[in-house]
Amino acid sequence: MSDFMFGIEELDNAIGDIKKGSNIMIIGPPMSGKEIILNHIMYYGAVKNDNAVIKVTTRHPASHVFEWFEENNRALPLSKIGIIDCITKTIGKEAVEAEHIKIASSPVDLTGIGVKISQFFEEFFMKKKLPKIQLHIDSLSTLMMYSNIQTVFRFLHVFTGRIKAAGALGVYLVEDGMHDEKDIVTLKQLFDGMVEVKLENDINFVRVVGLSSKPTQWFEFEINGAEIKILGEKVNGKNRRSQT
Amino acid sequence: MVKTGVPRLDDLLGGDIPKGKSLVYYIQPGVEGEIFGLQTIYTTLIKSGNGVFIASSTSPAVVREQFREFGWNVEPFKKKLTFVDAYNSLIGVPSEEKYAVLKPDNIENFNEIIIKLLQESPPSTIVFGSLSTIMDLCGEKETIEAVRSWNKIAMLYDHVIVYNFTAWPYSEETLDLIKNELFNAVISVGGIAERVIFGQYFGILKADWTEKIRKSMLFRVFRPGGIKLFIPKIVVTGPFNAGKSTFVHSLSNRAISVDRLGTTIAIDHGHVDYKGFSADIFGTPGQERFDPIIKLISGEAMGIFLVVDSTNPEDFVRAKQMLKITKSYGLPFIILANKQDLPGALKPEEIKKLFNLPDDVQVLPVTASNKTGVYEAFEVLIDKITGGI
Repeated sequence: MSDFMFGIEELDNAIGDIKKGSNIMIIGPPMSGKEIILNHIMYYGAVKNDNAVIKVTTRHPASHVFEWFEENNRALPLSKIGIIDCITKTIGKEAVEAEHIKIASSPVDLTGIGVKISQFFEEFFMKKKLPKIQLHIDSLSTLMMYSNIQTVFRFLHVFTGRIKAAGALGVYLVEDGMHDEKDIVTLKQLFDGMVEVKLENDINFVRVVGLSSKPTQWFEFEINGAEIKILGEKVNGKNRRSQT
Repeated sequence: MVKTGVPRLDDLLGGDIPKGKSLVYYIQPGVEGEIFGLQTIYTTLIKSGNGVFIASSTSPAVVREQFREFGWNVEPFKKKLTFVDAYNSLIGVPSEEKYAVLKPDNIENFNEIIIKLLQESPPSTIVFGSLSTIMDLCGEKETIEAVRSWNKIAMLYDHVIVYNFTAWPYSEETLDLIKNELFNAVISVGGIAERVIFGQYFGILKADWTEKIRKSMLFRVFRPGGIKLFIPKIVVTGPFNAGKSTFVHSLSNRAISVDRLGTTIAIDHGHVDYKGFSADIFGTPGQERFDPIIKLISGEAMGIFLVVDSTNPEDFVRAKQMLKITKSYGLPFIILANKQDLPGALKPEEIKKLFNLPDDVQVLPVTASNKTGVYEAFEVLIDKITGGI
């Protein structure tokens, strides 16, 4: 089994291995299911692949992240999870750190977020001897909303570099349609590949670009709770559903 | 005169930061460096000075909470601590502070508020919580020009002005100006990295009022407690029954020993927090059959305590042999003349003669069983490890 996988069989088969040190952007419009794909990668990584997962959450408090997994019957192994909550203090709520939760003061405070990421890396790598680490940032769009593209680029330049140095996996969520195309192109320089998600006539599609010699087909998928189910492929512009 | 409150840093800076000077903490991304500014302002307050904190990456309320997390109660200093709120307007929240930057992405607005504050305030320690955030929002060149004028005005009004700056990959020109030109003093705060950052250090890159001492100190951040210098390994060695375990236990805040039939057969381990220092202490067994273990335990030690039983000079040959095993001759070490409370105990000077050691080797009297002299000995060794500054 490869160190890092999406946990979606069809996608994993289509790209082969995700190399250690890869940085991947997940991009898609609102409500297209990309957050659930990110959560699926997190769950699969921690539970099936025995990886440590650090999630930076800029939109939902840490408690909501855990609630989502609970509601969807996905028990996370807390010893391998680190959530960096960047929102609770901003909305004026009391925030308490725990072994698996660190609180950053705001999404503007990239220095503070960076410190918390480094602390979790040290904790997992040095103390818990968990060498396979995934860093998920949900989402870069919020960070860009509070600062600007140059600032986020500098931040990512440092941390995508650390991901490479540590042989880890970085997955970063971006809202499509919320930023200038120019900004997305700037960010793309930092990533090894992308998971593109789109919605067409209320049908969800996903494909992977950059992690194999050519982009994968668009896969039609449906979401059932926390589960991602691939229904078929789009070939030559036409949907072909798998026989099940 | 202002102190940073960071152990040893004030000594390295010649005692304190003179009035009118500017200092930047130049912080590697991912390293917990912003506490340096907080500790500096808190130290100012408890020494009856005035402090101003410019909050640009989070709200003043969160900064107050951070003070609390470190165990620093700033409530009694309400009149002496002023906040400039350069954050809340970013998220559309009205500010409750006297000084607020309403357009934190506009350097003119920043200038207006900061200059007003510098002119109106009594001599104070002015700490910018995050200069990099201001640079991110207002632009590199614009911020550098503003910093030049803030430093000048601070000098005229006898303030000490301190910046936390995270060294993100800005232009080389910007980083070079910050490291070499803009400030009177530059303290580098960095991380030791091997795949991940696993240790943090600080050192002086520049301080124009004192001779620069090239020395880096490892540190850790404690909540509560703040910055403490960290010594990852001090070894306690010595012959069988010299009192090594007793010494480790009496010095440490917490300690554990691996014993069999009342003697150490593998290791003593303790942790000591004392006067701004945090150190891990490792005690070796004393019997010759465990010598290979002593070599292992002594690897990467930063200092050695050699414990001898002052009533038992027959064991001194063995003690010298153990020093050799720990390869401590290249490391700072001191000899502890233990069991000074017992009749017949030799005085440290007598032990020194018997050991035939160079003059600079210190032999200190201790009675580990009742803690007499143990902390003094710790301080002496720490001085040796950190260069005696």
